[in-house]
Amino acid sequence: MRLELGNFHVKDIVFGEFTSFKDGVLTINKEEALSIVKEDEDITEADLLIVKPGDEVRLVPVKEAIEPRCRVSGGPVFPGVTGELLQVGNGRTHALKECSVLVVGKHWGGFQDGLIDMSGEGAKYTYYSQLKNIVLVADTNEEFEKREQQKKNRALRWAGMRLSEYIGSCVKDLEPEEIETFDLDPVTKRSTDINNLPSMVLVLQPQSQMEESGYNDLNYGWDCNHMVPTFMHPNEVLDGAMISGSFMPCSSKWSTYDFQNFPTIKRLYKEHGKTLNFLGVIMSNLNVALEQKERSAQFVAQLAKSLGADGAIVAEEGYGNPDADFIACIVALEDAGVKTVGLTNECTGRDGASQPLVSLDEKADAIVSCGNVSELIKLPPMKTVVGELQSLARDGLSGGWEGDEKLGSSVKEDGSIIMENNAMFCGDQVVGWSTKTMKDF
Amino acid sequence: MKKAILYLNQFFGQIGGEDKADFAPVIKEGLVGPATELDKKLNNAQVTHTIICGDNFMGSNQDEAVETILGFLEDKEFDIFFAGPAFQAGRYGNACGVICKAVKEKFGVPVISSMHIENPGVEMFKKDVYIFKGGHSAAKMRKDIKTIAKFGDKLLNNENLLPAEDEGYFPRGIRHQVWLDSNTPASDRVVDMLIKKLNGETFETELPIPKADRVPIASPIKDLSKATIALVNTGGIVPVDNPDRIQSASATRWGRYDISSMERLKSGEFKTIHAGFDPAAADADPNVILPLDALRVYEKEGKIGKVHEYFYSTVGTGTTQAEAARMGKEMSEYLKEANVDGVILVST
Repeated sequence: MRLELGNFHVKDIVFGEFTSFKDGVLTINKEEALSIVKEDEDITEADLLIVKPGDEVRLVPVKEAIEPRCRVSGGPVFPGVTGELLQVGNGRTHALKECSVLVVGKHWGGFQDGLIDMSGEGAKYTYYSQLKNIVLVADTNEEFEKREQQKKNRALRWAGMRLSEYIGSCVKDLEPEEIETFDLDPVTKRSTDINNLPSMVLVLQPQSQMEESGYNDLNYGWDCNHMVPTFMHPNEVLDGAMISGSFMPCSSKWSTYDFQNFPTIKRLYKEHGKTLNFLGVIMSNLNVALEQKERSAQFVAQLAKSLGADGAIVAEEGYGNPDADFIACIVALEDAGVKTVGLTNECTGRDGASQPLVSLDEKADAIVSCGNVSELIKLPPMKTVVGELQSLARDGLSGGWEGDEKLGSSVKEDGSIIMENNAMFCGDQVVGWSTKTMKDF
Repeated sequence: MKKAILYLNQFFGQIGGEDKADFAPVIKEGLVGPATELDKKLNNAQVTHTIICGDNFMGSNQDEAVETILGFLEDKEFDIFFAGPAFQAGRYGNACGVICKAVKEKFGVPVISSMHIENPGVEMFKKDVYIFKGGHSAAKMRKDIKTIAKFGDKLLNNENLLPAEDEGYFPRGIRHQVWLDSNTPASDRVVDMLIKKLNGETFETELPIPKADRVPIASPIKDLSKATIALVNTGGIVPVDNPDRIQSASATRWGRYDISSMERLKSGEFKTIHAGFDPAAADADPNVILPLDALRVYEKEGKIGKVHEYFYSTVGTGTTQAEAARMGKEMSEYLKEANVDGVILVST
């Protein structure tokens, strides 16, 4: 498979008459863009805003981030989700870089939603403060989940994907400024030089804890809860096969943008043929029942072993219950003789004194850690709030609360906030952006 | 100027050697022995008093020694408390740990000591006290005092504290997130670590696996037909109005609810507030998490003596191990008082 990602570097975003890209400036016809959003009758209100790094803006509840892209050869960016099913990871896809489409609830948030500060002390907690963002702020008529802590956010997330495809389509016929090529020969057809290098697989554990459909990450539109681990080409992940779900405490979440840009995959491509033989991705999951966890670990170890992997990286999208899958998978791989490194975050509590993962095993002797979900964060008021600040306290965001004996509400009268890292939008960046680690004190 | 107090044993307190190890605690105004050096090195505080106690006295009469010393301190103003350095002296290390822990608990001031890595006091007290990695013997006195004085100054000045390895104390079992100065992203760290592991080179995990805190399995109930059995769950089953406002994640609260007159938990009267799983099944029938219905059948059949009058509930998702342990201890007080013989702990 050979994927060409044609990159267009966005230096500025403005509203204007025609949705177009020229000399680094992305122009968006707001009315046309909103009509794409409103194609879904469940969307009751919608507005578009442009938000840039350094703006004194706080976004909450943020539900999703997507990179605007188009498939040059035709077809949906997210097959099986926004259009018909087709094979991705091969051919040409164009992408608008350094920007994302952010989806923000106009009022209502939930367990899975997060917060982004575009400037100030809070900006360092999320990757998306560094991007120029096209922000869709919208509300829906999904009454059944309005007051539910867990929301599928279907209308809003799908609106974000349609919007990202609409914006991305403006560079379909343009010549990209740069082309990134991702090319891996089939596993058994590689040169002797490459075959002599230590071989490895990347094991991904996307979120799949919900039994009911509508919450979990999707693989070509298929609920990750309903799959057993399978072998995938890394290009499929980079090219829209995976979309984010709507379930996990937000700092642990992998957004669709995270999947599209997966930094650990990109780094492995750099090492491929030099220090490593990157065999591919084993896509696993994080189901709740013990037997399902064991089954997945068993499948992963078998796949890795049958592929002849000497090593593996295992990354989990979540914490708590999924730690059991994470550690079980590492142990199964180590027991199969595959040298394994884990990639995760921790939950050591506000005071830092709790056991870092729910499940531990001495065989997990190599772990890269990206943060503490329960770290307490205080932030001053922000000039502009996009969405609704009270959602952080009122709607059960995983890092917010309405009343705490000592700390009071997460949202103070002056607009300042106190929250757990849990509610920072994709804050722990386990896909690989994270420059955070954990240290003993 | 802020104030500091130093604890020493009989030897460094210039009372005498092993023959004076039974020396009962005293407090002296001003500087004795190493207190002079500490006072010199400490910029943000003055050492006002020195406490001296024999190592054997502390070892054999710990409660009395601690009580006496806490009594000395009651009317003193001080902002920070030091003990040692204790080097490799085991009894002295223990004494420094005991008194530091007690002073911290009673007065809430920072407590600092210094010990050699092989001093048993390190393992015993590193969670409670900043214990700095000190020398083997008194030959390192000046160096070790300089280290603890420097850290004391930082604390008194409210400066940002670095991780344990950078400051030089033994990790206290506390982990926090920090941003790496190198800005090396996790994608590079994880791939570099894998390459090292594959090539048989040394690598350093970012999450050293701590030793498991295992609880011994309880001995079996001798006669179940006479036993009182309680139901405890972390699945968030509560009366529908959640009267104790137990959080749906990262719980710090728990509740107990009277079920003495109920045959089963009715949907609509009870529900789950747990945010970590699909609530549909538990809301439709709360007994799937809290099996009161099944236990009542056992009670009627005489398989168990009786079901305890209350059930106990909290939420497990995101809840830290420390909070869980505290809540468990609080629940067990009630269970013991009601002579409960066995508990079914339902997790989700």
